Amino acid sequence: MGMTVAMALTQVSSNKCCGGFQKVFEHDSSELKCRMKFAIYLPPKAESAKCPVLYWLSGLTCTEQNFVTKAGSQQAASEHGLIIVAPDTSPRGCNIDGEEESWDFGTGAGFYVNATEDPWKTNYRMYSYVTEELPRLINAHFPADPEKMSISGHSMGGHGALICALKNPGKYKAVSAFAPICNPMQCAWGQKAFSGYLGVDKSTWETYDATVLASSYSGPQLDILVDQGRDDQFLSAGQLLPDNLIAACTEKKIPVVFRLQQGYDHSYFFVFSFINDHIKHHAKYLNA
Amino acid sequence: MDLYMSGERLEVIAEEETDTEQEQGSADEASREVHGEDIHNVDKRERVDRYGMWDKGDVGLELPTKEPYVLVTEKMGGPPAPPASTFQRFSVETNESLHFEPYIPLDEDEPGPVRRFGGKAVDDNEVFEEEVGREGPGESPGDSMVGRVINEQKAMEGCEGSESEPLDMYCTDCKIPIRAFQRLFDPHKNHQVILITKAAEEIKDDVHTTMRKLEEQITQMENFAGHLEEIFITVEENFGRQEQNLEQHYNDVIQTLTQRYDERASRLEDEKKLKLESLYSQLLDCGRTLDLSKDLIETAQEMHRNEDKLAFLQVVIPTIERIKDFTKEELDLKLAASLKFKNSTVDLSDVKQMMESVNIVPAPSAPVINPQVPNSASRTSVRVCWSLFSDDTVEYYKLHYRPVLEDSTAEDSQTPEASMIKVKETYRTVTDLLPNAQYEFWVTATNTTGISPASEKAVYMTVPSPPVVKPRECASCPSGALIRWDSGNTNPVDSYTVELREISEEWSDTAITESIVAIPTCECLIQLQPGKLYSIAVRAVNIGGPSDRSNTITVRTIGTFFHLLEDTAHPCLSISEEGFTIFYGDKDLSMSDMIFSDNTFARCVAVLGELIPVRGTHYWEVEVEDSTEFRIGVAYQDTQRNGYLGGNNTSWCMRHVVTPSRHKYEFLHNGWTPDIRITIHPHRIGVALDYDTGKLSFFNAGLWQHLHTFDCHFLHYVHPCFALDNPGVLTVHNGIETPNYVRFV
Repeated sequence: MGMTVAMALTQVSSNKCCGGFQKVFEHDSSELKCRMKFAIYLPPKAESAKCPVLYWLSGLTCTEQNFVTKAGSQQAASEHGLIIVAPDTSPRGCNIDGEEESWDFGTGAGFYVNATEDPWKTNYRMYSYVTEELPRLINAHFPADPEKMSISGHSMGGHGALICALKNPGKYKAVSAFAPICNPMQCAWGQKAFSGYLGVDKSTWETYDATVLASSYSGPQLDILVDQGRDDQFLSAGQLLPDNLIAACTEKKIPVVFRLQQGYDHSYFFVFSFINDHIKHHAKYLNA
Repeated sequence: MDLYMSGERLEVIAEEETDTEQEQGSADEASREVHGEDIHNVDKRERVDRYGMWDKGDVGLELPTKEPYVLVTEKMGGPPAPPASTFQRFSVETNESLHFEPYIPLDEDEPGPVRRFGGKAVDDNEVFEEEVGREGPGESPGDSMVGRVINEQKAMEGCEGSESEPLDMYCTDCKIPIRAFQRLFDPHKNHQVILITKAAEEIKDDVHTTMRKLEEQITQMENFAGHLEEIFITVEENFGRQEQNLEQHYNDVIQTLTQRYDERASRLEDEKKLKLESLYSQLLDCGRTLDLSKDLIETAQEMHRNEDKLAFLQVVIPTIERIKDFTKEELDLKLAASLKFKNSTVDLSDVKQMMESVNIVPAPSAPVINPQVPNSASRTSVRVCWSLFSDDTVEYYKLHYRPVLEDSTAEDSQTPEASMIKVKETYRTVTDLLPNAQYEFWVTATNTTGISPASEKAVYMTVPSPPVVKPRECASCPSGALIRWDSGNTNPVDSYTVELREISEEWSDTAITESIVAIPTCECLIQLQPGKLYSIAVRAVNIGGPSDRSNTITVRTIGTFFHLLEDTAHPCLSISEEGFTIFYGDKDLSMSDMIFSDNTFARCVAVLGELIPVRGTHYWEVEVEDSTEFRIGVAYQDTQRNGYLGGNNTSWCMRHVVTPSRHKYEFLHNGWTPDIRITIHPHRIGVALDYDTGKLSFFNAGLWQHLHTFDCHFLHYVHPCFALDNPGVLTVHNGIETPNYVRFV
């Protein structure tokens, strides 16, 4: 009975969009031990067939709303028949001390890791949530093709997408990222989050660092598309460190196309501008 | 889930769609076959009437119209009949009524239209089987739902068949319709009994075949009658000519004879006159002599009577002298003219000849030379035909000919000498001529009587030599091919014909599938079907006909296929034998050794490929090495030859630069590139060009990895371009099917 309850979904909203539906659901997460929302776009094709699923991981401070309202992904998803699932970025309302203190740690900053440190380790299990619980939920309740999933994200979500793909060879057919935090161990955001969630042992950190994971990757060929705004203040602030990832991938012969987009910043305007390219990138592998 | 339609509704929609498709399909067919089918329909109607085996009312009412016939199913209040079809096929299933069905092309993959039969969906075959099944004598009525339904239907229709068993079988031995149970009894026991539907069809076919034969015979008879009429006319004409000829000849003879008679008669008259005149003058002479003699006698007698002797003697002497003199003269008593007339011999040889010539042939008139018949010539020969007037007798013809010089306008140009051939027939194939050349022909006819005047001159032309297809200048893509050829003839030809044959593994048949005619120039852009193999050849055509087929070129419409435009290649580039590998040698040529033309790349060590001028999508791949510093992409044909590819707004390219630290990739247009980092050096670069979406994309073909896409409005057709910035090699791979992933750009 507990399983059934845990799997129960409550529809929060539903809006027709590009021939399909943009919906938001709420459910009790067993991993996160709290009520979680996620957004899901169902393309028209989902009415008659199972569709591949693209998981989108948002960045710091975001909820499931940012992507669906700002990225403009629905048109391309509709055309290519992709379901897009956008979860929230952290557990919410867990009443943990310091949860709401800063914007880059705690609520809205789960960093897609499974926390090992108190007081976070009970709820802050975003890695398991996005790689295990959520796909299970989606596959059970929606016309999703469980064999065809891919992952993408922005900033912290870009980091999340990269580590999910690199840690689970073959699980995701494609991966892409917008302005990802490529080497969190080496930047202020990552160091703050990792030390908070994972403690001082840096070897644990390495299991959540895209650059480190890339240099030890072995598995099916990945094709990584990364877009980065050149005028991104966090790029110049050394929070993103794409060069480290590129170097690791070059070394390890992991195919990456990294596009430094002139004039773009870190915002969703930047995401909006290139989301079509990313959806096509995912569609290429998901619809192959 | 109110968002989705109920299953039932969906089914209805699906049915409607199917029906519409079928309707369209059959309508097409109808329009194609309406010509032949009309006859069939009429035939059938007539036959049906004649046989009178079925309800006349139905037949009369429904047959002459092309309106859709209401299906049997509708009579039972089932779902509405499928939409009207203009083309119908009917079948006779029972003897009560005639059933029309919309003609549905047989497709084994798709089930026939599903109809509702008493609430149970059945297809055509089931209906048919059930009805046939009913005919079995041992069958209890109404044991199946469908059977019941049909019985009800019959009852509703109130047909005669409800009283007795229908005549639903046909005995082929007795040639009569029988009832099903009768086949088990005499006299039909051992006879071949078939279903009446089949029998009707077979007999209809027989009747139809017989009618066909009769029609053929009628046509033959009509033709023969027409021929006879012509013969009548010809006989009449021949008689007329012959009669005229005869009359003229005899008139000639009579006229000649009359003339001769007149001449001779007048000559005779003249002779008579002469004779009479001379006799008369002789008579006059005689008279005068008599008178003189009488005078002398009187004078002598007077003197004799004179007594005076002296006087007598004085005068007598002169008189005696006179008498003596007179008597001395001898008397001419011969006739001055002969009594006979001269009987000169008459020369009638000419008349005789004329008489003879009544029966000999006249010299022929000038023959009429025919204009050249299309396709009657070859490269070195023409078949010349002429005709004679039907009453001419000709022993042989002399056919004269000489070449017509193209530029013989000037008077000083020498007219070539004419050749002559003796021919018995009214045609001749003249050989040993030059290809694609004009000759003028004229002909004279000769018989024993003489030679005719020459016919008019007619110009005949030998067919051209076959063109020579230039495979290196041909290009193709999935939807077409650009074929170029050399004329193969020094003189211009009228046009060219391109012949296509589809080569299929299934058929060994190599019939020409398509010909494109009247091509004025030595190139042609042909539309083809994707994914096929074609063999293409060209013929040159002039008035004499088409030449032999040129060498053939095989075109596979998979992917885009092009050759390099070697005349654009920078002098430092060399291109392999097969034409797809480009080398930039280590050894630098000195500027003086380089030969540049207007079309040669002078700065960028580049070459263009010639892409077929067809919009749509094109894809090719380029193989490079780790160290190859290249520029590959597309450029307008007139892109600056003294600039670098990508450095201007007439070219778009991907550039690879090796720096000490890394491989650098630029995607250059107008000198600008986005900042793109690529972690794996592509050894095989896919280039996808889509005119319609205005995209030029580059891929690492080995990884399916998308590298970059240019969004550009191509104003004109572009050509692939390849350059080497440093010594190295690259190889172009052509004719590759566009990979599926290229769609996702």
